[in-house]
Amino acid sequence: MGQPENVAKFIERARSVQTTVTVVSGLAAAFDYAVDLTLKQGGKNIAAPAIRGENLVLLESICQKNNLMLLTRNLREQIGMIGTGLTMADWGIAQTGTLVVNCESEDLRIATMLSETHIAMLPKYRIEADTAALEVELAAMMKTAPCYLAFISGASRTADIERVMTIGVHGPQELHVLILEEDGL
Amino acid sequence: MIKTPHNLKEYKKDLKRALGNSFLSATLDSFASAYPASRANAFAGIDFDALASEIARAKDESISKIEELLEEFTARAQEAGAVVHLARTAFEANSIIAAIAEENGVKRIVKGKSMTAEETFLNDFLERAGYEVTETDLGEWIIQLRGEGPSHMVMPAIHLSRREVAELFNKVTGESLDPDDITGMVKLARRELRRKFVEADMGISGANFAIAESGTIGLVTNEGNGRLVTTLPRVHVALVGVDKLVPDLKSALRILTALPRNATGQLISTYVTWITGPTECKSSPDSRKRMHIVFLDNGRLALAKDPVLSSALRCIRCGACANVCPIYKLVGGHNYGHVYIGAIGLILTYFYHGRRNARTIVKNCLNCQACKSVCPAAIDLPHLIKEVHRTVLKVEGKRPPKNVLLKNVLQNRRLFHFLLRRASFAQKPFSEGEYLRHLPFLFSEEHNFRRLPAIARVPLRDMWERINPRVKNPRFRVAFFGGCLVDFVYPEQGRALLKICADHDVQVDYPMDQTCCGLPAQMTGEKETARDIAVQNITAMDPAEYDYILTMCASCGSHLKENYVKLLSAEPALAVKASQLKDKVIDFSSFMIKVLKISPGDFFAGAGCKAAYHSPCHLCRGQRVTKEPRELLSAAGLEYVATKDEDVCCGFGGSFSIDFPEISAELLKRKLDRVEAAGVEMLVTDCPGCVLQLRGGMEKRGGRIKVKHIAEIVAERMRNDDDKKNQG
Repeated sequence: MGQPENVAKFIERARSVQTTVTVVSGLAAAFDYAVDLTLKQGGKNIAAPAIRGENLVLLESICQKNNLMLLTRNLREQIGMIGTGLTMADWGIAQTGTLVVNCESEDLRIATMLSETHIAMLPKYRIEADTAALEVELAAMMKTAPCYLAFISGASRTADIERVMTIGVHGPQELHVLILEEDGL
Repeated sequence: MIKTPHNLKEYKKDLKRALGNSFLSATLDSFASAYPASRANAFAGIDFDALASEIARAKDESISKIEELLEEFTARAQEAGAVVHLARTAFEANSIIAAIAEENGVKRIVKGKSMTAEETFLNDFLERAGYEVTETDLGEWIIQLRGEGPSHMVMPAIHLSRREVAELFNKVTGESLDPDDITGMVKLARRELRRKFVEADMGISGANFAIAESGTIGLVTNEGNGRLVTTLPRVHVALVGVDKLVPDLKSALRILTALPRNATGQLISTYVTWITGPTECKSSPDSRKRMHIVFLDNGRLALAKDPVLSSALRCIRCGACANVCPIYKLVGGHNYGHVYIGAIGLILTYFYHGRRNARTIVKNCLNCQACKSVCPAAIDLPHLIKEVHRTVLKVEGKRPPKNVLLKNVLQNRRLFHFLLRRASFAQKPFSEGEYLRHLPFLFSEEHNFRRLPAIARVPLRDMWERINPRVKNPRFRVAFFGGCLVDFVYPEQGRALLKICADHDVQVDYPMDQTCCGLPAQMTGEKETARDIAVQNITAMDPAEYDYILTMCASCGSHLKENYVKLLSAEPALAVKASQLKDKVIDFSSFMIKVLKISPGDFFAGAGCKAAYHSPCHLCRGQRVTKEPRELLSAAGLEYVATKDEDVCCGFGGSFSIDFPEISAELLKRKLDRVEAAGVEMLVTDCPGCVLQLRGGMEKRGGRIKVKHIAEIVAERMRNDDDKKNQG
């Protein structure tokens, strides 16, 4: 499967598990999206523990303009109060609409799990057809301990009461994926 | 505390109670109806059979070198900084985990869903040792609060209604909840459990995979509690059955392709988490988690060495064998397993929770093969259930009277047939046309849900020479395996076959030394008797002498094809014959369509009646014949009307309907209700056992729908050569 087919399949499959998928031009547009969504949902902050350098400077300034607090570390202290978790995915898997996130860092795990809304940015060229296409990379990551590798496909869900599918039981209540045309600003 | 009945009397009381639970019946029925379509969608574009065989092959290989994999995993995981333990027993596993808790000054524990922890009754053990343990999977939390075990491996609280959950949550939190507000109940759980995650010192998870090459554990979850259990507390213990060991990521990903698709009809579960070694954890003094992996043996390593039963270790815990089981659908998981539920539960209970807990539930299998057909690891579950049943009988050293009778009578064909002829004579005062007026003394009132047929006055074998024409230049030479029911109860079905064969230049022989196929012996765990009978039949019908061995009984056909090879596998000379037999056995519909190439031109013109079809378990799954009977019905000019659950068992199951009449009756009722609702005039099937059940049930309820073996209707509507000449 070529790249455009992978992207189209990823979008279709991710949407089928209630993920909101949007294609944006680059990081700056993604930051705007994250800020807008947080404000719309009444969130007070954005946790972005893995954003660095000039990207962080830009995000900080947008957050400041909009009166949102930017959280970058010690997220354990913020559990229960994180509005948006903004993270970068390592890969996307088209076949199942899955994000692959290497999150050995505790803060990154908390941002992806204990925020009310998780926004994951995914560079377009990082979308592969299926797990088989990533097997070598994934196996290598697992062999580099310590490793905490997450496949995320949609928002947290349960069907444990009368098989009624209900979103947001433990993890984020919403998952947004922003496919980045370019992974720079 | 889980209580599983140790005798049939107690068990039947439980079954009766379950059959009267209308919520359970409705919820499991709606699940069973929705599951096949969502599963089929999830597997679109994937060759399920090829995937299942590949998983089976790979798991068998892992099982054969389980100790090497354990060694490799241990080395890699220890290099990564985890501590690996091997517990020989459930008690040892629980003790190791309690000791880890003590060493680390733990007070509060959060748990992710783990069937292995259910197996060891870990919560009870830790609570007795003074720890607070909270299940964090919503379904597991619900059943923990109720003090129950799971009723399904994937959906542990499927037996409960929203009202029961609302009342429970109200009792626990003091909040009053609207039972129809499921989202509200889920939010309450989120809030309550979030607090527990933050406060916990130790998290306990299971694992779906333990990857030897990297010392990685893999967890497959939907709620996300597995990630929280392994992230927030400073100590993580994974309790893992040694059967979860796989050599590499490739093997794990292969299983992951099947697991969520087969379990819940999802392409993938929401979260799949792979952990190698202790990760960052800021609530730990050195910011590094303490990670322990406790492997559980509990009999698995011994089981791995058994040539047949080791295949139970292929199980990937998808729960599908319960999802499709017609008995599970009626009585729920608390009556269909001990800790492990469904077909695999009937098997594993014996190994992990003992003979007393297994001895009664293991009898409750129709051998309908529904579980086998959906198993992603190609485990022959009905066969293993019978193996366990046999082992239980052997260990207990006392055979039920039914088994003694079967053994003594079936092994001696002359005695068996003599008794059947005597029964035909003796029943005279009690029969009324083709049915018995009263149930024989062996039966009780609960068996009175269908009318039983009278034994034929003249069995097929006694009229054979008289009715079987010699064909001059036969196109095919065929041996007919009648089976007990066609021979002694429904010889007219055999006559129908002869009429068709004579018109198509097929010479049919009836080898007189053939006897019962032996399935009834196999079904009651009498493997040795089943083996002896197989030898008698193979000796009676040398496959080398015939083009085909035709049978009109789906159960006989499936048993001859599949089980003879297994029964005789240790005896090379006979095994060859069994394989040759397997190649030549054919069912009636396939013989008509594939061999005789019957087409609409062979039948009288004019519209036939509307007919529903019941697909016998041992034809559609046992022999994988599904298209041909429907094609044959259409060719014969009948208007075939599809009905829901055509391929769900009618409830006969041979002697099953004698042991569990209440279940047999309920399955029959549902089947006939659906057929009647379809507005048909006839119900057609391919197996005399199903005819016995369906016709007897229809007669009992005074229904008007005729029940026929497909051979009867085909013979009735088929034109012979003279008809063709006259009509052009």
